[in-house]
Amino acid sequence: MTISTLTGTRHRTGDRRSAQARRNARTGLVLIVPALAVVGVFVIYPLGFGVYISLTNWPLVGSYHFTGLANYSALAHNPLFLGSIVFTLKYTAIVTLPILAVGYGLAVLVRANRPGATIFRTLVFLPFIIGLTTLSYMSVVELQPTSGTANFLLSKLGIVSDTTAWLVHAGLATTAICVLVVWAASGLTMMLLMAGMQGIPEQLYESARVDGASWREAEWHVTLPLLRRPIALSLIISVVGSFLAFNQFYIMTQGGPGTSTVSVVMAIYDTAFTQFNIGLASAMSVVLVIIVGLITFAQFYFLQRKAE
Amino acid sequence: MASPGGTRTGGAVRDRPMADGGTTGRGTATRRSLRRRRGGGHGWYLIAGTLVSAVFVVPLGWEVIRSLQPESAVIAAPSSASFSHLGIANYQALLSGSDDILRNVINSLIVAVLTAILTALVATLAGYGFALFRFRGSGLLFGVVLVAFMVPFQAVLTPAFLEMHDLHLLNNLAGIGLFYTAFNLPFGVYVMRNSFLAVPQELIDAARADGASVMRMLVWVLRPLIVPGIATSALYAFLFAWTEFLAALTFLTQDGLFTLPVALINVEAGNYGAINYGLLLAGAVIAMIPCIVVYVALQRFYVRGLVSGALKG
Repeated sequence: MTISTLTGTRHRTGDRRSAQARRNARTGLVLIVPALAVVGVFVIYPLGFGVYISLTNWPLVGSYHFTGLANYSALAHNPLFLGSIVFTLKYTAIVTLPILAVGYGLAVLVRANRPGATIFRTLVFLPFIIGLTTLSYMSVVELQPTSGTANFLLSKLGIVSDTTAWLVHAGLATTAICVLVVWAASGLTMMLLMAGMQGIPEQLYESARVDGASWREAEWHVTLPLLRRPIALSLIISVVGSFLAFNQFYIMTQGGPGTSTVSVVMAIYDTAFTQFNIGLASAMSVVLVIIVGLITFAQFYFLQRKAE
Repeated sequence: MASPGGTRTGGAVRDRPMADGGTTGRGTATRRSLRRRRGGGHGWYLIAGTLVSAVFVVPLGWEVIRSLQPESAVIAAPSSASFSHLGIANYQALLSGSDDILRNVINSLIVAVLTAILTALVATLAGYGFALFRFRGSGLLFGVVLVAFMVPFQAVLTPAFLEMHDLHLLNNLAGIGLFYTAFNLPFGVYVMRNSFLAVPQELIDAARADGASVMRMLVWVLRPLIVPGIATSALYAFLFAWTEFLAALTFLTQDGLFTLPVALINVEAGNYGAINYGLLLAGAVIAMIPCIVVYVALQRFYVRGLVSGALKG
């Protein structure tokens, strides 16, 4: 088939045109089939299959039968799941604003059109690129009592004793993980806000200055209102990301002590692959998809209205 | 939905390579004010920027140094003496003998490269189809791809596990590569569709007049223009696959097939003998290096992706 079949066949006869349009349509479909197949098999199908399983008492082997909404009503009394929701909400509430605030400050630093800004941006973004998994392993070593660098520095500053065992106390472990996550994740917010800031015409700042606005006033009255969308976007990304947290908890605390640092995704993982309660785990997953969908939808809705 | 920056700079970002790694020029007004600003305190800017950057980079560099300490120094109280015997002993121990992490590094490379290639290839074809061909249902199918964007892989892990089991894709590096590809495709298709939409119509018309076939057109006419898009989708896929932990932990159960992030759980737990934090640090540094190299080399493509990600709405 030739490119002449794509479009622009006005001078040809109607018959040939529709034949070409058909071939054209077929080619287009053929091109997107691999993508649809992969997304269909590994994203859409599991999504539907998960809903189906959540309505059964699915065992690892053997037969199953429908149990209706039994798994969902069981969730309401499942201490692991309820605890994980409370913990994840708490964790999300703790890290979201610091990530935004730190990311905003970093964006102000790297948005400048000055020598050095590009390098600073690259360096600040490195922890995000390396990812929480690798950083969590490093943190495990550095949060050890006596030998870890964290205690060494903090005890020199007189903040904690050098025998503090960070990872075996729920509060301390959560604190450490939150600090790690804010440090690692604010680079992404920085990038998104920086892109937004660079799109604001300089003239707006010029006129603000002419009007006698201070730097802070310009930031408040010019930058912030125009950054609504990038801010909303980075909030969605960080809130959803926090809600899906798993790696840092699995690696640093294994959910412990007890189940005090079990995140929602870890509760699902544990229910499915340790307790082998597939139906219940699927119900948890469905709830998670709905929560994440609602967060995204609510933010988009809010955003669209603001943008009008 | 679009960020203000994204909207305004989208065209420029798409069309030309950015030597400065992603900033878009802000025109003469900026340059003028820049000159004025620079008079007052560029030195301070550099000092502040260096200090802030140090907060993010020094810990990483510190871990590299720590990984060169002998194990006995890693687990002892810190002292200046513990830095007198730096060496690569941890790396040697990790990459040889019973703690053979080398195969896990290779597994990770296989999965990451496979994911990057598959994502780039399939996303390019789909982007081509969505952008330059008209067919019924095109909009709806593109909508399906975008909806898949919103499905977190964490939420389909259990059903996907059962499905992968039935497809004999558990404990299968190609299988996990396919799974990763599926969750990188929505973004990749989105980026590639935009790349094709940015191709000037005259170029397509000219190629059409020459009678180029669909594939000839893609490879010989369009390729130079969509290479940045391909690089962006491949880069995201590579970094995702290289750093991914939960799906690999779920879909791989044999030590020999673990990717590096999962294999390090064994090192952390001391499954190869006593817990050895020197080895763990060395393994973490090995996991970190490719990210830094790939990102620093290709960061303009990464930033491009962030801008179009901001546009995704």
